[in-house]
Amino acid sequence: MPRHTRPISSTLVALACLLATLVWNAAPGAAPAEAQRKILNIAAKEPDTLDPHSSTLGQSQAIARFMFRGLTRFAIKDGKVTTAETEPDLAESWTLSPDGTVWTFKLRKGVQFHKGYGEMTAEDVKFSLERQINKTPGTRYGVNLEIIKSIEVVDPHTIQIALKSFDPIFLLRMVGYQNGYIVSKKAAEKPDQFKWNPIGTGPFYFDRHVPREKIVLKAFDKFAGGRPQIDEVHWYDVPEDATKLIGLEKGTFDLLYPEVVTADFAEQIKKMGYLIDRRGPGSQERFYINMTKPPFDDIRVRRAFMHAIDRKAIKETLYPGDLARLATSCVSPGYFGHIPMQFPEYNPEMAKKLLAEAGHPNGFTIKNYFISKSFFYPKVLTLAQEQLKKVGINVELQIVEHATFHENIRKNLNPFVLYGGTRITDADPWLSLFFESTEIPDPATGNKGTNFAHYKSMDDLLQAGRVERDVKKRAAIYAEAQKRLERDLVCLPLEDVPGQWARNQKRVSTPFSPDYGEYSLHYSYNYPELLKIVN
Amino acid sequence: MIQYIVRRLLVAIPMLLGAMSIVFFAMRVLPSDPCVAMMGGDATAAALADCSKNLGLDRPLAAQYVNYLWRSVRFDFGTSFRQGYPVGEYIARMFPHTFVLVMASAVVAALVGIPIGIISALKRRNPLIDYPLRIFALLGLSMPVFWLGILLLIVFSLRFDLFPLIGGGDLEGVISMIRSGEMFSYPRDFLKAVGDVLYHLTLPALALGFTLAATVSRLSRSAMLEVVSQDYIRTARAKGNIERIVIYKHALRNMMVPLLTIVGVFIAIALTGTVLTETVFTRPGLGKMLVDAIGARDYPLAQGAVTVFTMIIIVVNLVVDMLYAVVDPRITYR
Repeated sequence: MPRHTRPISSTLVALACLLATLVWNAAPGAAPAEAQRKILNIAAKEPDTLDPHSSTLGQSQAIARFMFRGLTRFAIKDGKVTTAETEPDLAESWTLSPDGTVWTFKLRKGVQFHKGYGEMTAEDVKFSLERQINKTPGTRYGVNLEIIKSIEVVDPHTIQIALKSFDPIFLLRMVGYQNGYIVSKKAAEKPDQFKWNPIGTGPFYFDRHVPREKIVLKAFDKFAGGRPQIDEVHWYDVPEDATKLIGLEKGTFDLLYPEVVTADFAEQIKKMGYLIDRRGPGSQERFYINMTKPPFDDIRVRRAFMHAIDRKAIKETLYPGDLARLATSCVSPGYFGHIPMQFPEYNPEMAKKLLAEAGHPNGFTIKNYFISKSFFYPKVLTLAQEQLKKVGINVELQIVEHATFHENIRKNLNPFVLYGGTRITDADPWLSLFFESTEIPDPATGNKGTNFAHYKSMDDLLQAGRVERDVKKRAAIYAEAQKRLERDLVCLPLEDVPGQWARNQKRVSTPFSPDYGEYSLHYSYNYPELLKIVN
Repeated sequence: MIQYIVRRLLVAIPMLLGAMSIVFFAMRVLPSDPCVAMMGGDATAAALADCSKNLGLDRPLAAQYVNYLWRSVRFDFGTSFRQGYPVGEYIARMFPHTFVLVMASAVVAALVGIPIGIISALKRRNPLIDYPLRIFALLGLSMPVFWLGILLLIVFSLRFDLFPLIGGGDLEGVISMIRSGEMFSYPRDFLKAVGDVLYHLTLPALALGFTLAATVSRLSRSAMLEVVSQDYIRTARAKGNIERIVIYKHALRNMMVPLLTIVGVFIAIALTGTVLTETVFTRPGLGKMLVDAIGARDYPLAQGAVTVFTMIIIVVNLVVDMLYAVVDPRITYR
């Protein structure tokens, strides 16, 4: 070999050997102490904040449940967690004044905040609620507490909350979820630090955040409900569902919070021998039809629209089998006040007949229909587009960024709006947000509400429901509200998609059945302290 | 040479300002705004207005622009709207991961693509060698990086458990030890940390490097074909040199200039490829961070990331130009 080639090839070989040695030696084995600790590895997405009052992202709300609690919690009845009832949590008892406007809560004594921030007192409760009511920058849920008139600390373990009027869902508002979380006043008085150094009373406390990698939580020894069995929670930022699946099979992850649970995803989980925890009420996808925008101002056209949509086909295409349930009402099961509703059956011939009667024998075209490119939106709309085309309603789609979609639907650019979401599990906030006249979006006034149907025929019932103290009468009011929606044909629900997480049950157990054993909101595990590493 | 460098740096300033201005206005021309992106559909008008005020978005656009430029000059890119971290700190944390990924994939692309390109050029008259090499290189061009990445994870991480699934390794540890000088005091720990980084880097670098190797091989092939057709190669052969000397001593040297150009172009292409690589391999880095920032309308983060990317391209092009003079003594700069 020529001399000048020897040094080059020898150098390359030596370098390759060095690199291989470095890489080989880097392959980790578990240190003995590490192997003893029970670590729960969760593959989700990175939260944008750990301040529980600040974020609407699913992953932020899911992780908040590990660190915070509220005065009340969703009740455990017959081995299941229900969102329709509450039971005591940080408050051990409460009373309501005869006029229904003053709640007096007795707080549990000895409940500790994380990291030595001391005992939770009434001052912390007052602060937690007032920071939202006063719209501290960054907080999002103050609107849910607008019913509160004043908050008074009676003594360190007694707090009185006066309302502007009777609120039938006040105990639901105090559940450890969004606005109901109690934070440490001392810590949260510095909101910029609190965002990434949260202090709560939950079963786990925040340890560290490695941006775009993971968040580490550790078991809180002084948790009021007893120290969790799990020592640490490692919450990984894993944006790609395929990587999550590989990680679950490999054993890198124990729980997955998928972006979307598709039939393929569910099949992969099944093949691995693992399971999916399904949690109601989930998120409902539905159409709102703007009854003021021609041609949908004609009820025959709205009825034709509904006859044209094959809800079952959309549900089975996107969420075959158990991945979702066909929606039975514009108020989902699991929400107080839900009753099954009747919707026009899929019948394209009837749709064409109605369109002809309404003066559209050849159908009509909807131009520049904006739809988000994210989540379920493009898939549902593409299917609906095809179904509507068959009856002569041509929808020309413009696919836009999710943020842009939200902007445009509040400018009333779409004659019907596809929307999804989950709300606090009572018909009042649910119906108020989408059917109260004050929520009609109006670019002229800057109102960016969500009453996309421009519906005005429910205000009286909503006002009555808010002051009704009898549970049965209240339920009857919301039943009537749903009847009106049936009559006026402004809302067509498609499916109820449960919250779904994948779990390696051979490694992690929960006391609740995977099949709707828990009802929850934006998180699948109401009680993460009850999760256990079994292997 | 110094004058040339200074001139190039001076020219880079308006280029950088131009890129920063484009991203500033482009982000604001996009429909919707950061508050809707952050707060979602449930936000009331009042909440959205509060949010805009807190983020300074209610001020006139010109005021925002001037403020942005003035702060950028002082390397103050603001704080992320979404997470609240200082953008400079965020980028400083993410940049090394993207840098090592791009460099490592450049090495892979070079080690795979350049030899294939050269051999393919030299053996172009032998289809039994030329065609398989070109097909092999084209495989890299045809395979999307995210597909190849998932395949590598399934085979080498899941099935054979040879490499990790996620993460970027202890790169912060390596940087910290270099800065503090502890790499000399604790060489074993340092090498372990370096090994950890390489351990996490292997599969992503292979995925990104292989998919880009095809481009490198095609460019190398063209460069080599041009060089071997030159008179000095014919002369070298005529002097009785064996083929290996003709190639290594004469052809390769003269290929260095186009090869450097290839490397410069590759860096730019690789930067765009890091988005998908970082997503599939769950690596921290600037690529995915930039895409997320644009989607979330996180103006400061997106602006900061684009500024860094632009600076990288400018520096790489400058370094490549400097290296031209090093590899080819005929090139001088004044």
